[in-house]
Parts: sequence; C-alpha cells; structure tokens
Amino acid sequence: MPTLTIDGIQVTVEPGTTVLQACELAGKEIPRFCYHERLTIAGNCRMCLVEQEKAPKPIASCAMPAADNMVIKTDTPLVKKAREGVMEFLLINHPLDCPICDQGGECDLQDQSMGYGKGSSRYDENKRAVTDKYMGPLIETVMTRCIQCTRCIRFAQEVAGVPELGAIGRGEDMQITTYLEQAMTSELSGNVIDLCPVGALTSKPYAFTARAWELRKTESIDAMDAVGANIRVDVRGREVMRVLPRLNEDVNEEWLSDKSRFAYDGLRNRRLDRPYVRKNGKLQEASWAEAFAAIAAHVKGLQGSQIAAIAGDMACTESMTALKDLMGKLGSTNLDCRQDGAQIDPSNRAGYLFNSGIAGIDEADAILIVGSNPRREAALINARLRKRYLTGKVKIALIGADQPQLTYKYEYLGAGAATLKDIAEGKHAFAEVLKGAQKPMLILGQGAIARADGAAVLALAKQAADSLGLVKDGWNGFNMLHTAAARVGALDLGFVPGQGGKDVAGILAGAQSGEIKAVWLLGADEIDTSKLGSAFVIYQGSHGDAGAKRADVILPGAAYVEKDATWVNTEGRVQLGRRAAAPPGDAREDWSIIRAVSEPLGHKLPYDNLGMLRRRMLELAPHFSGVDKRSSAAWGGAFGTAGAVTDAPFASTVADFFLTNPIARASATMAECSALARGAAQPKTGTHD
Amino acid sequence: MALLDRGARSIFLWEVVKGLGLTFAYMFKPRATLNYPYEKGPLSPRFRGEHALRRYANGEERCIACKLCEAICPAQAITIEAEPRDDGSRRTTRYDIDMTKCIYCGFCQEACPVDAIVEGPNFEFATETREELFYDKDKLLANGERWEYEISRNIAADAPYR
Amino acid sequence: MTESLWQNLWTGYVFPGGLILVHILMLLVPLLVAVAYLTLMERKVLAAMSLRMGPNVVGPFGLLQPLADAGKLIFKETIIPSGANKFLFLAAPCITFILAMIAWAVIPVADGWVISNLNVGVLYLFAISSLGVYGIIIAGWSSNSRYAFLGALRSSAQMVSYEVSMGLVIITVLLCVGSLNLSAIVNAQKTVWFAIPLFPMFIVFFISALAETNRHPFDLPEAEAELVAGYQVEYSSMAFALFFLGEYANMILMSGMTTILFLGGWLPPMDIAPFNWIPGVVWFCLKIFVLLFVFIWVRATVPRYRYDQLMRLGWKVFLPFSLLWVVLTAGVLLAFDLLPKGV
Repeated sequence: MPTLTIDGIQVTVEPGTTVLQACELAGKEIPRFCYHERLTIAGNCRMCLVEQEKAPKPIASCAMPAADNMVIKTDTPLVKKAREGVMEFLLINHPLDCPICDQGGECDLQDQSMGYGKGSSRYDENKRAVTDKYMGPLIETVMTRCIQCTRCIRFAQEVAGVPELGAIGRGEDMQITTYLEQAMTSELSGNVIDLCPVGALTSKPYAFTARAWELRKTESIDAMDAVGANIRVDVRGREVMRVLPRLNEDVNEEWLSDKSRFAYDGLRNRRLDRPYVRKNGKLQEASWAEAFAAIAAHVKGLQGSQIAAIAGDMACTESMTALKDLMGKLGSTNLDCRQDGAQIDPSNRAGYLFNSGIAGIDEADAILIVGSNPRREAALINARLRKRYLTGKVKIALIGADQPQLTYKYEYLGAGAATLKDIAEGKHAFAEVLKGAQKPMLILGQGAIARADGAAVLALAKQAADSLGLVKDGWNGFNMLHTAAARVGALDLGFVPGQGGKDVAGILAGAQSGEIKAVWLLGADEIDTSKLGSAFVIYQGSHGDAGAKRADVILPGAAYVEKDATWVNTEGRVQLGRRAAAPPGDAREDWSIIRAVSEPLGHKLPYDNLGMLRRRMLELAPHFSGVDKRSSAAWGGAFGTAGAVTDAPFASTVADFFLTNPIARASATMAECSALARGAAQPKTGTHD
Repeated sequence: MALLDRGARSIFLWEVVKGLGLTFAYMFKPRATLNYPYEKGPLSPRFRGEHALRRYANGEERCIACKLCEAICPAQAITIEAEPRDDGSRRTTRYDIDMTKCIYCGFCQEACPVDAIVEGPNFEFATETREELFYDKDKLLANGERWEYEISRNIAADAPYR
Repeated sequence: MTESLWQNLWTGYVFPGGLILVHILMLLVPLLVAVAYLTLMERKVLAAMSLRMGPNVVGPFGLLQPLADAGKLIFKETIIPSGANKFLFLAAPCITFILAMIAWAVIPVADGWVISNLNVGVLYLFAISSLGVYGIIIAGWSSNSRYAFLGALRSSAQMVSYEVSMGLVIITVLLCVGSLNLSAIVNAQKTVWFAIPLFPMFIVFFISALAETNRHPFDLPEAEAELVAGYQVEYSSMAFALFFLGEYANMILMSGMTTILFLGGWLPPMDIAPFNWIPGVVWFCLKIFVLLFVFIWVRATVPRYRYDQLMRLGWKVFLPFSLLWVVLTAGVLLAFDLLPKGV
C-alpha cells in the first residue's frame, strides 16, 4: 500500500490508485476535464498538473499511479502557473459564447477558468471554428466549443459499447465526430451530455429553454423501467424541463437511459387534466363530483365478484395500496398487476426479485440470460453487464428468440424452454459453467414467463437454480428482470388475485362474458382494451392512452414525477420519489383520488394523509420501511408450476425500447428516436442514391 | 449681560424676525426649479430610464436569451422564455418586464453581454392603467427603435469609462 | 286693504329683504373669490419663498388653479365612514363654513358699508369665532376615528386657550375706544392706529389669531406628520371643501378683525392728499392683503410648535402678558385721564 505525502498530509492508498485520486483522499481538489472516474484515463487535457518533488516538470496527476514516498504539492506557484497556462491554451480556441451556451451556469470550463484561470488572454488571432456534427435527435452539437477531452468517445466505447464516436485529425484540427454522421445507436447516449465538460454536446430537446439557475431541483426516482434509476427532476415554474441522473452506485451509478432522460416532454402532451364521463357514447368533460356520481351509480350495488381492478406499469405503491383496500371493502378479489400476463408466483418473494442485486453483477462470473433483451428492458443493467464483461471475468450466455446486439459477446444457447430444460437437468454444456462458477447468475426475463406455459418455465428456472447451485451462502443467483416500475411493489403489496379472484386474463374474459361489470384501470394501458366488453371502465391515469380511450369515467391522476410515491425496483429496493411538479389542471395525486372515491361508494378508506396511508402500506409490506435498502428475500419453498412447456421461443416483451409506456408514447422526442431506431428517418448521406 | 441679551432677543422675537427676513429675501432669488413639461434638466448618458431592447444595424435583434438580466434582476421583474429560432439561433419567445416591479437599478444593462437590454433616456412613460406597464417584447423592441439614436449616443459617450 | 297689505309687503318686507340679500351677496361673492385666490396666493408665495414655481399650468400663471381645484372637489365622491354619525359628520363642515360666513355680517369694509352695524359687534364676533370650535369637535367626534378625535381635542383646547388672551387684548382696545361697535373702533383710530400705542398687544393679537385659525406654526390640529390631517382626516370632496373654505374665510376674518382693531380699518394711513383719494374699501382690502401675506410668510418661516410649547405660550406667556397690559393700559388711561368720553 503506497503511502505518499500531499501538501504535507500523509495518505495511504490502494495500489493502482492515481495521484489525482490520492489528492482527493487528502481533501485536495484537482481541476480536470478529461479524467472521469468511470472511464479510462486519457491524460490529454493537462489540467490536473501537480508538482512532484524531484520530478523535472509537473506531472499529470490523473495518469500517474501513486507510488510510495511520493511528495506531491498542489498549491505551489508552479502548479498555479501550470494550471493558468493550460487554461489559457484551452481557451484559445474556445468561443466566448457562454451567453448562448446551454452549459452556461453549470459548465466545468466556466467554473475552472474562474477558479484556476488567469482572467485574460494574450491570443489575438482568429479562433478555430469547427462544423457541427449530427448526433441524432437527442444531442445538440456545437463542436467549436469542444476542448477534445474525449470523454464522449471513451463513454461510447466503454460504457455504451457502441464505438461510433471518434476523433479525426490531430492537434488543432482534431474533431470529434460520429461514424458517417449518424445518430448514436445507444440507449445511453444522453449521458455524453452530462459527461461533456463544456457546451459542445448539449441536450437537443432542452436546447435554449432554461438556465441552470432557474430550475428547481427535486430528487426523485425514475419509473420508466424496473431499474428504479435515481433521477433529479429539474422544474421551471410547473414544467419539467429536464431529467438528470443522480449518483447511486448500487442502482444506476451515474448513468441514465435515454428514455428516462428524454421522455419528459411526454409529461406535457396528451395529459388528462380533468375528469371525463362518457355520456351517449362520448367522453365529456365533467367535474370531480359528476365523475364520482357516475362511478357510484354504476358500482354501488354490484357484487364484489362483479368488480375488478388492474394496476398499470407506472402505478405507485401508494395508489395500489389504496385501490387494494377499496377493492377489499367492495368485496372484490379480482385484482392484478401483471398486465403482460407474466406467470409470477406472488407468494414467494425470492421468486420474483433480482436477488443478486444490480451491483451483484459486478461480482458475477457466469450469467445466463433467459427470455430477455436487457438492453431494451433495462438499459442500465445492460451497462452493468457490459462493465462486468469488460473485466473479462464473466461468461455470458443467452436463451431467447433472436440474437440481439447486447454490446457484449455472449454465447447463444437456444431459443426456448427446451434449452432451459437441458440446462436445468445438467445436460447442457453451459450447465457446467454455471455449476463451476463462484457467483453464477440466472436472469429470467418477462419474455420467458409472460406466456401460457410461463408457470412451467418459472418452475424450470427454479429447478435450474436449485440443481446448478445458483443459490449459495451469501449469494442468490436467481434473478427475475422486470420491465415495469410498479411490478415488484405491487407483488410485495399483494395486488394480485385473492381468494377466488381472477387474474388479468380472467378479468378480460369475465368482462367479455358480462360476468364482470366494472373494471378499474389504474394507469393500465398495456392490456387489450377491446376485450373489456360492455363493462363499466374507470380509467385513472395521467395520459390519454389506450385505457382512457375505452373508459367510461376518466379520473385524472399524476405522472410519476408529480407525486410523492414509493417505488420498488426489480431487485426489491424501496425508494422514495419526490414530487417535482404539480399535476396539471384538476389532476390529483392518485391515492387521494381513490380515497375521495371511497366516500361516495360508501366505504371510506381510513387514511386522510400520506403518512396514514404509508402506515397502512407498512402493514401490508413491512420491508417498505427500509427505504433505499435492498430488502432481500429468503430462498426456499417452491414457485412456478411444473408442467409441459411449449416450443415457442422466448421473445422479449419490450419490442420498442422508446415506446414502452404512456408517457413515452406521448413524447415527440421518443417518437423521433423510435422512428430513427426503426430506420425510418435516418438522414440521407451522399452515398445513398 | 448674556442673560439680558438673550432675554431681549426672545422678548423682541429677534429670531423670528430674522427668520422672516430670510424667507422674504428668498422670495426674490431665482427659482431653483424647472418649469417641467416645458423645460427639462440635462440627463447623464448613464441615466436609467425606460427599458428598450435594441437591434443591430441590420435589423437583427440583439437579445440572445442568455437570461443574465433575468438572473441579476433584484426585483425579479424580468421574465424570459426562450427556444431555438427556425435558423437554430437562440432567441427569446417572450421577454417581459414588469415595470411596476422594476427598481431601475440598471443591473440588467450591466449584465447584458450584447447591449440588448438598456435603460434608455426616456422617463416619461406614465400610464393610466397598471396593465400598460407590463411591457412585452414588442413594446421593448419598439422602444429600442424609437430611442436608438439617443441610446447609441449615450453608450458611445459612456464607453471610455467602461 | 288688500292693496295696502301688498304695498306693505313690498316696502316692509320684500324690498328690504331683497336689499339685504343683495348686500349679503355683494359681500360673500367677493369673499369667496378671495378665499379661492388666497389659496393660490398661499401656494405662490410659499413656492417663491422656497425657490419653486407654484401652480402655473392651469390658466395664465396658474390663475385658474382655484377653479380647477374647486371643480375637482365638487365632483369627487363624499365618502362617509361606515362608523361615522352621518348627520353630525355632514353637519360639522356646514357649521364651520356658516360660522365663518355669518361673522362677516358686522365687519365694516368701509365707512357705513356694513350689513348690520351692531352696537356690540366685537362681542358678536367673539361669540361667533368661539362657536367655531364646535364644528371642529363635532367633526372629530363624528368621524369615529382616533386621529380625527385627537386632532379635534387638540384643536378645541388650542382655540379655547388663545381666545382668553385674545379677549384680554380686545379689552385693551375697548378701553381706548369706549364702544363695542366696530365702526366706532375704526373711527377712534383717526388720529393714530392702535397698532402704534398698543404695539405689543397687536403682536399678541396677531399671534393669537394664528393660533385661533390653526395656522402655522400652531397648526397642530391638522399636523400631517403626527395626526395625518387631524379632524379632517375622514373628510373628502365637498365636505372637505367646506372646512377648507371656512378655514380660509376665518383667516380673512381674523385679518379683518386685526385691521379694524389695530390698523384703522378703512382709514388711509394718513389723511392727506394722495391717500384719501383712494376709497376706504381699497384700504381695508389692502390691509387685509398685507396681513394675509404675513400669515403665509409666517407659515413659510416658522416650524410647528410642539403641543406643550403651544399651551405654555398661551397660558404662561400671553395670558399674563395681556392681563398685565390691560391693567397697564387702564392705569395709564386713568392716570392721564384719557378715558374715552361716554359714547
């Protein structure tokens, strides 16, 4: 363990630590542009120069490994002069267009030139100008501002796994460009905006709309997928202006998928901002009282078995608790949260969690992905997989309908349940790999179980986990990868069919046959609404999507950033999302709507505020008290139903990464990205006809 | 003796008489005031009056929506909304000044990197309703056109001291 | 019979009544115009003394300013506070205004030019001006406002205080004249104006007049800084205008009284050629004008008294001083046998 002296402070660091990291440990701030903790070291900006005793010239601290008995000085006149010199060089070709630059106010170059620069330039000649590059509908480029730190190149190469960015030319003529000026084909491309220390890469949808200092920042949780990425929502007035990632080493590190980052413009479009009631076959604007009266007129007097409720993929646990309680009081057991029909066994918690944890991927040495395309279903987990893959210490295999590009190499084992069965029975070669691994992982996607024989597939997976030793002391290698932010929370709360209750398929069948007379859709848009028959449909949600179109009464609810809500991600981590903006118009937080409806229905729910509701939630799911902690479940018992499996291949449930939920579907940016991904709107280059 | 002196002064109201003499003498002094609507005093080139948004000589508006004036405004009288114009340049879609909030401190023109928002020499913009004092971008640009000659002259006059 | 009754009615009632009416109008119309222009003069003089212009926009040299002010006051809404006693609230300005007007009934503006040549004119004047305090105290009370009430209390206390010394000053004059008739008082000054032998009394009377009319530096009742506008605070529009008119008419009245008592009324300064060509009424007006100018001049010069100073001056300086002078004058008149012979 090298021990070195930094400005007279002795620090002992891990071998392999750089001088820059050692300086940070000693509490010394070192300015930098190209260095980034999660990227490889480039050492090309020279901003991190420090003085080392007995060295002939200043050293680039980011690239110098810390060695024993080094004496580093960070506050000498030499260091100051070196920094000023580097800063002056960087600014030679940097335009002074901070007033029109979106990075202005949160720019590393601005901050550091204030902190370490000289304040004046001796450069009188013309500045270099660089043509802007096209990087797709998400990233705005002003390449004249680029200081060639190459963070974006390294990110694309290393984290995103799409080596589409690069530099051409050298010296003053060096330019960052994309391959053939095409959009980045990554679902993590937005992160280069955060990485760029200057305003060369900025957000296109956010362009010129707000300034960093005007924004009210709220820390919240993303609900676009089941990863539960930690986000910061920036709001101006009552409009969400942008969404940024927040550091959480265990979940999203500091990345965010493009859907989570850019779908916010969907929060403004197609919003349900007032209640509607269907009169004479047409939805008409109504007041809350009218909507409640319509609900009471149709639902009161129905038997419990004639009422059903389906929770959508973005429903918060609070609203599901309230709806579950209301259904209980109405005598209904027809509840379900599994819109896709996934045959999950809610009784065994370990059977539906990502038990290894997302951070567990960093330790895994053999991974079998079954019926999932993690790149589309959970882009951030895919980034983790790639990160682990890059260490070369893991073997990855996949069972699925096709062989998707996953940004890392994997062994394709087969298409469907037969292969899984081979592995579970130890007949397959990869079974030996899993058996021999220290920390093996099985990632079971929704594609494998959201089908008629899903329960049997689940039982196979359970069998594999047991027979191949995926579960050991301190390691649980059975992982289910969810796609819906609401799913794990709903399963934890028991928003599933009760005694004699019907699941989603049963509810739809019942509605068609007339057996079920009223259906409450809590943001459920992914079901086939044409199968709701003549049932009275109450749709509660934020966007005018499929469910609202079929509804008889629409109750306008809040989107995920507009409510204080609890989310449980795929690994069972309970996280609190905070309200960043107010819901539009008459829309209200969802739990309070259900609480309000409960009164005209004659079954007043016993909570008047969020605190009381959360106490009730803790009764249903005591582990919700451990906020931000991953509450693991004990392995044991059985889940799934052993039975015959079909030969149908495991297809991912997410067909289009950009359009998985009502908010994303209402977003123009996402529509553009989706079209681009499907190849519809690629701009023509000179080589095309 | 002093006592007597003081007593005599107070009995004969000497101070009052002296004061009356002074005020009477002042009646014949030249007036210090201006006959305002017909006469006006000189204005410094730094005078901070009614706001105006300027244009370049080619007609392009100067404001680039950097929002520095909005940020510095101590009375929070300025509201700006911006978005890319069709040609991709950064422009305001809304530039409002609530003249009833404004304290005429001049920070906005100090903050402006392109001399777009300036406080011109006009101080005679009283209105009959409050609403007329909520200036929008059109009004400010119109002011800029109306006062451009004076404003540019003032800026030139003050330039050596900046 | 009927014919003579009609004749009687004409000669006995209608004609003299009409004549009186004409007399009254001949006095009141110029008086009200004078009041209006006194306000303009006040603003102009004050402006000149503080190096300003004064009103100069309405009409040439601002000469139509009083009309504009009057028009504004007339057309404004009379606001009656919800807690006010409506009847008294509206009666108070009327009382003030009427009292300021009827006092003029006994003022001789020239030899024989008087509506009612009362033989107890001084007493009448004194009584009327004492009644003025009612208008103020009623206004203060009926407004149902603390400011107005405090202002009214101050005002009445002040008026009562200075009336005492004023009464004693008048007594000294009466001692020299031997009559309560105002014309007689003027005629008694044919040889010398009383301002000269009774100079200290003249000063005391004038200062008391300032206090009596609530003028600077004794304008505590309406001290803006402390009591907003004193008893007038709740008044607006015409009700306020009546107070205003009353107050300024009182100023002119007090100037008139001072002229009659001390400056020889309509008499020219010297009964010699160029002076006695000028009619008496012009002399009278001229003297009033000068006194009004002094009123304004004092306003421009002297800062406001504190309330305790005001009371101290009234009770501990003016009262003993004027009392002393009554005794002194009486003594001198007796000792040198200068008492006026029975009138």
